[in-house]
Amino acid sequence: MTRILSVLLAVLGIAAFGAIGAPARADDAPPAAACPREIELGVRNALSPAVPATTAGQTPITCRIAKTPSRTENGVVNAGAIQAVTAEVALSDGRVAIVEVSPAGKVLSVHYAHSDLSGSSSPLMALVFWIFALVSVGGAVFVITRRNLVAAVMGMVGSFLGIAAIYMMLYAQFLAVVQMLVYAGAIMVLFVFVVMILNRPEDEPVAPAGRIGQGLGGAAILYLVVRLIWLLGRVEPPNAELAAAAPPPVEQCVDWQNHACVQMGSYDWGSVRSVGTDLFGAGLFPFEAISILLLLAVVGAIAIARPLHTDDDAPAKTRAEGAA
Amino acid sequence: MSNLLWNIGYPHFLVLAAVLFLIGVVGVLVRRNALIILMSVELMLNAANVTLVTFSRMWGDISAHTFALIVIAVAAAEASVGLAIVVAVFRGRRNVEVDRLNTLRH
Repeated sequence: MTRILSVLLAVLGIAAFGAIGAPARADDAPPAAACPREIELGVRNALSPAVPATTAGQTPITCRIAKTPSRTENGVVNAGAIQAVTAEVALSDGRVAIVEVSPAGKVLSVHYAHSDLSGSSSPLMALVFWIFALVSVGGAVFVITRRNLVAAVMGMVGSFLGIAAIYMMLYAQFLAVVQMLVYAGAIMVLFVFVVMILNRPEDEPVAPAGRIGQGLGGAAILYLVVRLIWLLGRVEPPNAELAAAAPPPVEQCVDWQNHACVQMGSYDWGSVRSVGTDLFGAGLFPFEAISILLLLAVVGAIAIARPLHTDDDAPAKTRAEGAA
Repeated sequence: MSNLLWNIGYPHFLVLAAVLFLIGVVGVLVRRNALIILMSVELMLNAANVTLVTFSRMWGDISAHTFALIVIAVAAAEASVGLAIVVAVFRGRRNVEVDRLNTLRH
């Protein structure tokens, strides 16, 4: 009964995907306009391999032009001078090139950014997401419903692999690989070993509970889940201001085309390099603390799992007797 | 509705994490085998990690990846010690059902 209830709850949780509202988008971008002619030419020259020099059939280049505010002096309106121009070009491979151009049309820097998740969600991407979400949720349901322990472990591994794919979709490549190595590799082996040691089918997998307890617990979990999903469905994506405050992309200066030195920022998000830079920078103390924790865990696991029989003490006792 | 199906945004990932966490909670509450309970705890930690990585992507802050890495390491330590306890308990009383573990002695 409780098992059926748990499966029902899980299915309900999946169905609740349909209940949340459409993902909210950041709509507070500053107004983008078509570029002046010379700036557009300069941008197309700079991105020449990826963007054709002709405008036909291409996604338009949009410019965000920052001006000094126009002032009125003695009844004459002075238009503000152009300070900086930022052009955005959507490339065919889903990336967005953000080009800073001087007012004269000279390219100052080129940054590549992955377009935002909601922007890059092609139907294929959505299909991949749903497949791996189904794999991870299905594996998790498998864990809590199977009587056979080995089957449960395999369900857990499937769930972890699905989660690794989800990490990949969130541009966390390094974390996805770590997930596969640690969970689907090491922890899975650990669990399988212990299952083999125990090797004893359980009689009754589900704890019995009173009818009132079942009802109360089910209602509480249901309320919690509905609240949680309602809350998570309304999470706001960050606005452009916060995105601008994000750490700058790694910069490398390459000689590209005839421009002397274009600052090309490859936006490596979630790579070994970017994660490692943070791990050995701001996260150095937790990293070192983790090494001590792992050492303690190793020693503790050996100490706990060691047999308590007195056979170990026997040599010491004989030695003590011999000394006496 | 079709927009919800085909336009994957951050709430999708967050709700997926919530569902995974929920399944873990149900496993901990409902199952009696200590091993399954440990696996459910691992599931819950993973769901928390998915949330961390989603927020990391959402706010453009890479440090959540570091956090998630540390969570993975803590989960590994927890699994090793927990499994050691399970083995020790099994050695003492020949079963690992948490409902029957109500005394501290053998």
